[in-house]
Amino acid sequence: MATPSRTEIISLFRSLLRSARQFPDYNIREYTKRRTIDSFRHNKTLSDPSSIAAAFSDGQSQLQVARRQSVVYSLYAPKIKSIMDVKP
Amino acid sequence: MASKIIASTLRRSLSPKLLPHIRPLSTATAAVAAVAEPYDETAGISMKGVKISGRPLYLDMQATSPVDPRVLDAMLPYFVSRYGNPHSRTHLYGWESDEAVEAARAQVASLINASPKEIVFTSGATECNNISVKGVMHFYKEKKRHVITTQTEHKCVLDSCRHLQQEGFDVTYLTVKPDGLIDLNELRSAIRKDTGLVSVMAVNNEIGVIQPMEEIGEICKEFNIPFHTDAAQALGKIPIDVNKWNVSLMSLSGHKVYGPKGVGALYMRRRPRIRVEPQMNGGGQERGIRSGTVPTPLVVGMGAACELAMKEMEYDEIWVTKLKDRLLDGIRGRLDGVVVNGSTERRYAGNLNISFAYVEGESLLMGLKEVAVSSGSACTSASLEPSYVLRALGVDEDMAHTSIRFGIGRFTTEEEIDKAVELTVNQVEKLREMSPLYEMVKEGIDIKSIQWSQH
Repeated sequence: MATPSRTEIISLFRSLLRSARQFPDYNIREYTKRRTIDSFRHNKTLSDPSSIAAAFSDGQSQLQVARRQSVVYSLYAPKIKSIMDVKP
Repeated sequence: MASKIIASTLRRSLSPKLLPHIRPLSTATAAVAAVAEPYDETAGISMKGVKISGRPLYLDMQATSPVDPRVLDAMLPYFVSRYGNPHSRTHLYGWESDEAVEAARAQVASLINASPKEIVFTSGATECNNISVKGVMHFYKEKKRHVITTQTEHKCVLDSCRHLQQEGFDVTYLTVKPDGLIDLNELRSAIRKDTGLVSVMAVNNEIGVIQPMEEIGEICKEFNIPFHTDAAQALGKIPIDVNKWNVSLMSLSGHKVYGPKGVGALYMRRRPRIRVEPQMNGGGQERGIRSGTVPTPLVVGMGAACELAMKEMEYDEIWVTKLKDRLLDGIRGRLDGVVVNGSTERRYAGNLNISFAYVEGESLLMGLKEVAVSSGSACTSASLEPSYVLRALGVDEDMAHTSIRFGIGRFTTEEEIDKAVELTVNQVEKLREMSPLYEMVKEGIDIKSIQWSQH
């Protein structure tokens, strides 16, 4: 497995955050955002190329899950939003 | 308007020859169509006479947890195209389902440090508890006639024990200390020659205290008694090791770990072997312990949830503890007379059971319509009786009536906690303002000394 470049990593990070925003569910959306940011922060110190590659491919599969599930969640989104999404 | 749409649709779908002169349908039909849409208004929800502007924030993780999208992602293929019966041995559909079930079995087993051969899939923790308590005692009924359990167990264990009592078995219900933990010496002295099972839950569903599992396991090992634990609330939240705890049987549930409802798993030790009488007879699936087709999608979901829990346990723990502190500090900082029920040290952070003095619990719950919380377990939340768990702790009747359980989980946010604090504090202040008791306490009258007239 080739070590991903810096641009590739940043692009994955952005894609994950973008797919997080697609979730209509307040809690899932906030969690996906938080989990993405925390994972990248946690893996910031990785130096071994193979573990960087492993974390990158894990992130890629998470992105696939997020993309599929944000569609599923959108299909069955309740008409009434969470109280946290209702602007006072 | 709606009647016009219906009429035009009808007109389009029916040939004009069959229905030459269609007139707009009566308004009665339109009214029915409008009623069938329950969430018609965009302004808010009106349900059971309560009107709220949005879906309430969810703080009832002990009742059930939302399904994690990663779990749902693992399940969906088995709802769509991989629908085979895992017990079909003659075609690909069966083989792929069987493979998925076995993979899930391994995922569940590795979370509790067991062997996959020791896992039996069931419909949930209630079924596991029934198999464990009744199944073990029925199997060894010739020699063993006595069961030890605690007063704070879940209803399904207590009811199974009651059932055994009706059949002539003896049951000892251990009392708990005011912090909700059992007294190990009391357990030791309750053990008899014919004791066939000790059943103590790991994490309490109502108050979240963690029983000293390793110590209880030691005692059971010493007397060579099978030890059963209901770990539905513990799975994925605290580290579980069946060998450290020395359990013979353990009940697990899928929907408390962000998995699907309707699936659970029973751990049954192989060495030394524990045997049970099946509660469900039939095709002999799950080694004859639980007949009935194994629900592949649900089992796959539970497996995925367990694997996820293993990866995320530490991360979730830090988050949940942080939110619990935020919630408790927020409430304590603005209100007096707030008591946390159960031990403060030995507890799971995601379960915060608080009593608010001088407030009537049901009125508080009614007022907190924008926060989905409960006064105790969901199974008994319909009754106005105070929780039997809190009474077993020796909590005063008035405090037991005012308890609220805040359940915090993986998907709870800081903003939700802040909102919950604000709403709770406002509601409690409002109710206390109306309460004559609170006024009397403010004036320095000890309400315990008041002689209430009997009626």
